Amino acid sequence: MITTVVGNYPKIPNYPREAKLRKAIADFEKGKITKEILSRIEDDVTIEVINEQVNAGVELITDGQIRWEDAQTYFAKKIKGFSINGLIRYFDTNTYYRQPVVENKMEWLTPICVNDFRFAVKHSPVPVKAVITGPYTLARLSKNNHYSSINDLVLDLADVLAKEANALEKAGATFIQIDEPAILKYKDDFSLLNEAVKVITRNLNVKTALYTYFGDIDDLYPDILELPVDVIGLDFVMGKNNFDIIKTTSFTKELGFGIVDARNTKIEKIDEIVNNIKRISNIVPERKLYVNPNCGLEFLPRENAYNKLVNMVKAVNKVRGII
Amino acid sequence: MKGLLTTTVGSFPKPEYLKKARAKFSRKEITMQELESLERKATEDVIRLQETLGLDILVDGEMYRGDMATFFARNMEGFKISGLVRSYGNRYYKKPVAVRKIKRTKPITTEMFKFTQKLTSKPVKGILTGPYTMTDWSFNEYYSSRKDMIIDLAYAIHDEAVDLESAGARYIQIDEPAISTRPEELDLAIDAMKIVTDGINAKTITHICYGDFEKIYPKMLELPVDQIDLEMANSNFDFLNLFKKYKFTKEIGFGVIDVHTHKTETKEYVKNGIRKALEVFSPDKVFVDPDCGLKTRTEKEAYQKLKVMAEATMDVKKELNIE
Repeated sequence: MITTVVGNYPKIPNYPREAKLRKAIADFEKGKITKEILSRIEDDVTIEVINEQVNAGVELITDGQIRWEDAQTYFAKKIKGFSINGLIRYFDTNTYYRQPVVENKMEWLTPICVNDFRFAVKHSPVPVKAVITGPYTLARLSKNNHYSSINDLVLDLADVLAKEANALEKAGATFIQIDEPAILKYKDDFSLLNEAVKVITRNLNVKTALYTYFGDIDDLYPDILELPVDVIGLDFVMGKNNFDIIKTTSFTKELGFGIVDARNTKIEKIDEIVNNIKRISNIVPERKLYVNPNCGLEFLPRENAYNKLVNMVKAVNKVRGII
Repeated sequence: MKGLLTTTVGSFPKPEYLKKARAKFSRKEITMQELESLERKATEDVIRLQETLGLDILVDGEMYRGDMATFFARNMEGFKISGLVRSYGNRYYKKPVAVRKIKRTKPITTEMFKFTQKLTSKPVKGILTGPYTMTDWSFNEYYSSRKDMIIDLAYAIHDEAVDLESAGARYIQIDEPAISTRPEELDLAIDAMKIVTDGINAKTITHICYGDFEKIYPKMLELPVDQIDLEMANSNFDFLNLFKKYKFTKEIGFGVIDVHTHKTETKEYVKNGIRKALEVFSPDKVFVDPDCGLKTRTEKEAYQKLKVMAEATMDVKKELNIE
C-alpha cells in the first residue's frame, strides 16, 4: 500500500496562520507587487504544502497545484488555440472555473507544469507525482467553437498532453497521473477516452494512472481495465457502488482507493478507514493499493484536509500492523 | 402599458470603511454596536444611491452580510462555521457546517428590513437564501441525508418569510443559485420551496444563476414563486431561445448586466437585451436587473453599471410608451 493524494491541496491556512498567497495575489492584482515576487510566494507556499503532506505521512505527494487557478485554466492558458471565458460551475461543487474556449487548432507551445514538477521534486523528501488534466475532461469542460466533433478536439488535446507528459518524463517524472472526472458523466464516450489515453501513454516509460472522481464506474466496468495505464483511481465516497461494481470481474490493475471524503469536513475515524481498507483488500490485494482521498483536497479548509490525511495514514499504518 | 420595473439582485459593494470595520470587529477591536452603526450608515447610502438612480424596487444592499449562506447559518441553531475554502480565483469564504438539528430560534432579517423600509417610500425587497442552496453550500456533519437537511432548512426559512411579510415586505426573494447544480434533485428543491412560500401573499421571487438551465427547463417553472430571476447577460441572452420553445409562465427577473466584468456595458447593449426580452415577454412581466449581486464590483463600477441599466430601461420605456 502507498498513501497518496489526488491532486490539489488548500492554498491558504486559517487564522492565526497567515494567508500569504491570498494576500500576494490581491497585491499583484492591485499592482503592488511584481510577478516575480508573486512567483516566489507561490514557491514558498508550495514548499509549505509539500511539508504538510510529508508531515501527515503521505508517501507519494503532489506539488499541491498551488499555482493552478483551476484544473482547466492552468492548462488552457498555455495551450495554443484556447481563449478563456467567464465563470462556470465545476461539476456539482460550489467552486467555479473560467471556461476555456476552443478557438483554433490545439497546439503545445510550451511546458505547462514541468517547472512546477521540478521545483516540487527538489523540495520533497518523498516521491512526487505529476498530475495533468486529461484531454477528455479538458475538452468536455471547454466550449468548442472550432472542431466539428468532440472526438477531433479530444484527440488533438491528447497530442498536446502527450507532449506535456513526455516533457514531464524527461524532467524526471516517474509517475504521471491523468485526471478524467468528466468520463463519469459521459460514459458512452469511453472508447474515445481510451483512444486519447493511448495517445498520451504510448511513448511513456513511467508509471501511469488515470483518476476518476465524483461518482462510480457503473457501465464502465470492466471496460475501464482496457485503459493503457497502470493505476485506475476510483471514488469510493461519492461512488460507494464501486465496491460492488469491481467485484464482478477481477480488477487487473493497481487501484487508487479514494476512501477519505475530500468534500465534507466530517472526519473519518481511523477504524472506519481501516475497515474500508480491509473490505477493498478482499477484492484488490493490498500491495496493489494506493490509498487516497476521493478527490483533490481544496474543497476543505487546510486544517481539515491535514487532519483527514493524518487519519488516513494512521489507518494504513494500522492495517500494516505498525501501530 | 406598464412594466419594465428596475431592481437589483441583492448585494452591493461594501464601502472601504465598512470592510475595515468588519475586519476590526472580527479581531474584536470594535464593538458590535460600533459595527452596526456603520452598517446602518452604509445601508442608508445604498438606499439613497438606488433612489438617485430611480430604481423601482430597492434592496438593503446586504451591508451586514458576508457570504449569503454563512450569514443565515450564523443566525440559526445547528450550524458552526468552517475555515476558509476557495470558490474560484482568489475568492474564499467560510462555509457553514451542520453539526446539530437546524432550527430558527429568532427572526434574522426583519429588524434590518424595518430599518431600511423606513428610509424610503419605495418598496424594499426582503432577501433570503433558499434551503436547497443553504444545504448545497454547507458541510454536513449531522444529517444522514441531504433531503432531511433541506426540509429542516425550508421550515426555518419559511418562518423567516412569514416574519418578513408581517414586517411589511411586499416582495420576498428566496435565492436558490445552487438549484441548477443537480437536475435530478429539482423535485426536492421544488418541494422545499413549497414549504418556504406556503401561505405567503407577498410577491415571491427566486434568483437562480450559474446554470445549465436547459437541464431544468421547463420543469423549473414548477417552483412555487411568482417570479424567477435569471442571469441573461452572462450567456448573451441565449436562454430566450429556450423560452421561445416553451413558454415561460412566470414573471422574469431579467439580468442585463454582467456582474463579473469590470467593464461597464454600453447603453445600446442593455437596450438591445431589453428589446430581446420584449420579443418573448410583455413588459409587465419583465423586471430589469443585473445578472447577480453586485458585491464583487467596486462602488464606482456598480454605480456606473446600474446607471447604464436605469438609463437604458428608461429609453426603451420611452420608445415603447411604457409607464
